[in-house]
Amino acid sequence: MNNSILVVVLASAVVYGTPLLYAALGELLAERSGVLNLGVEGMMLVGAVMGFWAVQRIDGSGSAVLALALGVAALAGASMALIHAFLVVTLRANQIVSGLALTIFAGAAGLSSYLGNDLHLADSPAKHAFHPVAPSSLQDLPVVGPVIFGQSVLVYASWVCVLAVAFYLARTRPGLNLRAVGESPAAADAMGINVTRYRYAHTLAGGAFAGLGGATFSLAITPQWVDGLTSGAGWIAIALVIFAFWRPGLCLVGAYFFGAFAALPFTLQSRGVTVAPELFQSLPYVMTVLVLVLVSSAGARRRLGAPASLGLPYVREER
Amino acid sequence: MRLRGITKVFPGVVANDRVDFEAAEGEVHALLGENGAGKSTLSNILTGLYRPDEGEIELYGEPAEFHSPRDALDAGVCMVHQHFRLVVPFTVAENVALGDHRKEGSAFLVRPRAIERGVAQLSERYGLHVDPRARIWQLSLGEQQRVEILKALYREARILILDEPTAVLTPQEAETLFRTLRAMAAEGRTVIFISHKLHEVKAVSDRVTVLRGGRTVATVSTAEATRRSLAAMMVGREVDVTRRRERDGEIRGPALELEDLWADGDRGGSAVKGVSLTVRAGEIVAVAGVAGNGQRELAETVTGMRPRAGGAVRVHGRALRGGDAREAIRAGIAHVPEDRLGTGVAPSLSIASNLVLKSYRYRQLALGPLLRLRAIREHAVDLIRRYDVKASGPHVPARQLSGGNLQKVVLAREFSGEPRVLVVASPTRGLDVAAIETVHAYLRGAAAAGVAVLLISEDLDEILALADRVAVMYDGEIVGEVDAATATVEEIGLLMAGGRESP
Amino acid sequence: MIRIERRLRQPRWLTVVVPVGSLAIAFAASALVLAATGHAPGHTFRRLFDAAFLAHGALSSSVTSATPLAFTGLCAAIAFRMQLFNIRGEGQLYAGAILAAAAALLLHSLPMAVVIAAMVLAGAAGGAALALIPGFLRAFLSTNEIITSLMLNYVAALVLNYLIFDSLSYWRDTSTPEAKVFPQGKMLPASGTWPSWTLHGVLVPLGFLLGIALAALVWLLYSRTRFGFEVQVIGDSPRAATYAGMRTRRKILAVMALSGAAAGIGGASQDGDFRHLLDPRGLSQSGYGYAGIVIAALARYNPFAVVLIAFLLGGLQNAGYTLQGADFPSGLVGVMQGLILFSALGAELLVRYRIRFARPRGRGPALEAAG
Repeated sequence: MNNSILVVVLASAVVYGTPLLYAALGELLAERSGVLNLGVEGMMLVGAVMGFWAVQRIDGSGSAVLALALGVAALAGASMALIHAFLVVTLRANQIVSGLALTIFAGAAGLSSYLGNDLHLADSPAKHAFHPVAPSSLQDLPVVGPVIFGQSVLVYASWVCVLAVAFYLARTRPGLNLRAVGESPAAADAMGINVTRYRYAHTLAGGAFAGLGGATFSLAITPQWVDGLTSGAGWIAIALVIFAFWRPGLCLVGAYFFGAFAALPFTLQSRGVTVAPELFQSLPYVMTVLVLVLVSSAGARRRLGAPASLGLPYVREER
Repeated sequence: MRLRGITKVFPGVVANDRVDFEAAEGEVHALLGENGAGKSTLSNILTGLYRPDEGEIELYGEPAEFHSPRDALDAGVCMVHQHFRLVVPFTVAENVALGDHRKEGSAFLVRPRAIERGVAQLSERYGLHVDPRARIWQLSLGEQQRVEILKALYREARILILDEPTAVLTPQEAETLFRTLRAMAAEGRTVIFISHKLHEVKAVSDRVTVLRGGRTVATVSTAEATRRSLAAMMVGREVDVTRRRERDGEIRGPALELEDLWADGDRGGSAVKGVSLTVRAGEIVAVAGVAGNGQRELAETVTGMRPRAGGAVRVHGRALRGGDAREAIRAGIAHVPEDRLGTGVAPSLSIASNLVLKSYRYRQLALGPLLRLRAIREHAVDLIRRYDVKASGPHVPARQLSGGNLQKVVLAREFSGEPRVLVVASPTRGLDVAAIETVHAYLRGAAAAGVAVLLISEDLDEILALADRVAVMYDGEIVGEVDAATATVEEIGLLMAGGRESP
Repeated sequence: MIRIERRLRQPRWLTVVVPVGSLAIAFAASALVLAATGHAPGHTFRRLFDAAFLAHGALSSSVTSATPLAFTGLCAAIAFRMQLFNIRGEGQLYAGAILAAAAALLLHSLPMAVVIAAMVLAGAAGGAALALIPGFLRAFLSTNEIITSLMLNYVAALVLNYLIFDSLSYWRDTSTPEAKVFPQGKMLPASGTWPSWTLHGVLVPLGFLLGIALAALVWLLYSRTRFGFEVQVIGDSPRAATYAGMRTRRKILAVMALSGAAAGIGGASQDGDFRHLLDPRGLSQSGYGYAGIVIAALARYNPFAVVLIAFLLGGLQNAGYTLQGADFPSGLVGVMQGLILFSALGAELLVRYRIRFARPRGRGPALEAAG
């Protein structure tokens, strides 16, 4: 039973969906503050390469090194996000172009590749990687075994993050303030909330999460570093936030949904189903477009949930 | 509160020029001035939104410096802005509690029920009735204003500033507001009331400070001042824009007919519900009503910016398909929108470009697909001169023009197209008295020339001064039509509130 | 106290200083990055410059690299003018290449001029068709065109790979036994080989000249026609455009189609000027990537500037490709491009705003300064 296509796909969906989930949660926070950050792909790659570097170069016990590597990855992602935050919040630059610039700078032909090469990371597999942690007795349970218990710590941590972000937004005062900043920075400002600080903080948090998402690739999924490892996952994560109507819970659902499409080609191939791989590989991208169309046209008049100030700089003194 | 020598400069304009102002505890002090006199700038300085370039602020005898709205709020200064600073998707309770850390214990967790209780209590005590659980977009503008005041009371504001609060109220609601303000002053709070309307200032305040051209003219006791003396101080000369003039020209046959017109709103549901109205050539028909009752949607439907869901629009007998602005323009409908900068012009483009925004397709200005750039430029220079637009040249981007000049550009464009019907919405909002006079003159001139004018405005004074007939709109319907010469403010006010007494 | 105020006038000198200044700052920043990672900046830049412009045949290679960049740059710039983001026109370039190759193969017996014209048209059609998908979705279904065009880029790349590597399609050369094992596209006929000219030792392909012609056409269209006027208005204020009765949706389609056509002609040029067959690996390795939007952002709506900047960036790409190896930092090209774009964004601030230093408190000076 656990070898049936359905179960394998479900389990893989969780695996492939996890980096999407991290990146989407991060982008969700940034967008809730009104900052659109299209540099997710770049931030993920930088997080992936720096996390990988940490694992290869730092000596110590497996779990300690891995934990440290995650911290490094998050930090790397956040520093990339800092550039974007500075440009769009302080200098009021066009958010779309700045995000694209970040992707160019940090992405597959940019900084991540530069670092990967300079630090000679490309040839060897990871010294430590994330593996499933549950005892095999649990892993052998029908269906839930592989799907839930066969996952690594990163997956479980991502579930905690979803709950944390949801609680933060709905029930805490900073979360309320954040939502106000995203919907109406003028109102928030008039109530004494520091719009700049909130936008910086949440954009950086977005970068940190993206870094973690990237590290999921280089330390769990393909424990190796390759140029352009994420192959578009960052963009799917951005679409995912829209698909999830800016709500963390739906991000989880969406991430696994897209993860399934990413996993499908490999699963089918290993079953010897000979259909041109490219057609399957294009599935996640095609699905993204379809989902986006559905979501955008249904809410064309009433953009459900898009923070009203998304993409616009907030200027207090402008006449 | 005392302000001394406050100066604030923006690129190209001195908004406040060494202003002195002082308000005492327990009084309602009015800040009077026409649009552009510097009242809003001053109040924004008081609430920490702007920082003065020069000058000092003193609160209760101690010098105060506001680096941000936070400082002002902490000092007990709260403002109810003309354009509300409310988070639209949030509930009333969430808006009131936003940013405040002092109440209900935990600063980290949000306790919605406790906040709602607090809001309900305040609501009772001050007679500002509103449902704490309602979301802002569900409320009328008058109710939204109550939320803004509740925000201030929740914070125990000692100084409350209101910027043009009656713009969104019916006359009866305004009376209720004045009673609330007097009650708050009686408690020892200071209420600063910003307005350009003389009768309001006389009705509610103890003292008046008049601003003109960014400078303080005088501070007088309201009881001693008359409307005439205040007007003179405000504008520097004798003027009364609210005086009716004799009608020039004659009224002919129907030019614009609206028959049972329906249109949908932005949030689903109908915004225009079966409106029937006729405007004859040479006539000025006004649509009065508090903002948010479908006026904007009505203007958009008539001018083709919004599709009609039912009924008909006829221009000189010919029915329009609707939903197509180009069709309306071709039929001779000109439109001066209420949102000048956002809809009426392309802000970054030059004045010249904006002046041909609708006419660039015609033979004099285009040769096939190509534009006749020189002809366009000459056309612009001509219009700038004729309509007295103050700008250094036709290449200046539209966004750099002042409100009055921008409106002149829009009017120049619309009139120069020789329209048969003119739809104008809130044409003098935010303009100073000189500009208001100019615009009124143009509208009267248009009517005299045989244009049918549909005037949509929230300013009753303006309506009564200009219109022949007044139709009142409430909740998407026309609830009454009166003759402007004989109608009273009370009558219209009642209709504006839906024909019912306000609570 | 530092204050940022909106400018009243846009001084003319800014339109030159901004791109030049951005490049200068970007170079300085890249030097820092190089130095921080143990490469000598001066040495690296000299090698770059050498490989881009000075070495034997470098100029020709740079023009070769610049040609597709000019087209993807124009592609981005055309859309950008109306605040549409058709970034990464690669997918449309691939589509153009596919159709152009098909045209050449089908019409091989016709005279060269006809075949070349057909290739250009087919390329334009292919690119336009692909760009119309996000265009249609944006115009009629309000779907964000950035994400849709990006997603379709990935799909187009996959389709291209599929055609040559996995299918026995019309484009694939299956004539010899070797060809069946090592997949590659059919060679295009001689009538599909685009001419080139040598100018002072520099090889100038037809594609490059077409790029310049296209830039002129776009300039004319945007600054002198009614179409261009409407594009300007819609880009500035869609609400004002609706108010004025302009057909916004049709414009979105038209602009996206034009934008895609530009990239598609770039694809045709790749087939006809350089590769002479449909070559997926070659097409994707050229690293056109996001260069288009960098060029468009720097060129600030001026199509001629697009060609000029494409030449500079073409040199950069060329140098990056030539120097690839163990001792040269790969990814430097992307880093520099990113830095250039960052600087351009920062410089944009200077165009719109002015930074003023005002004394904190005092009487008089502020009023004096106001004039």
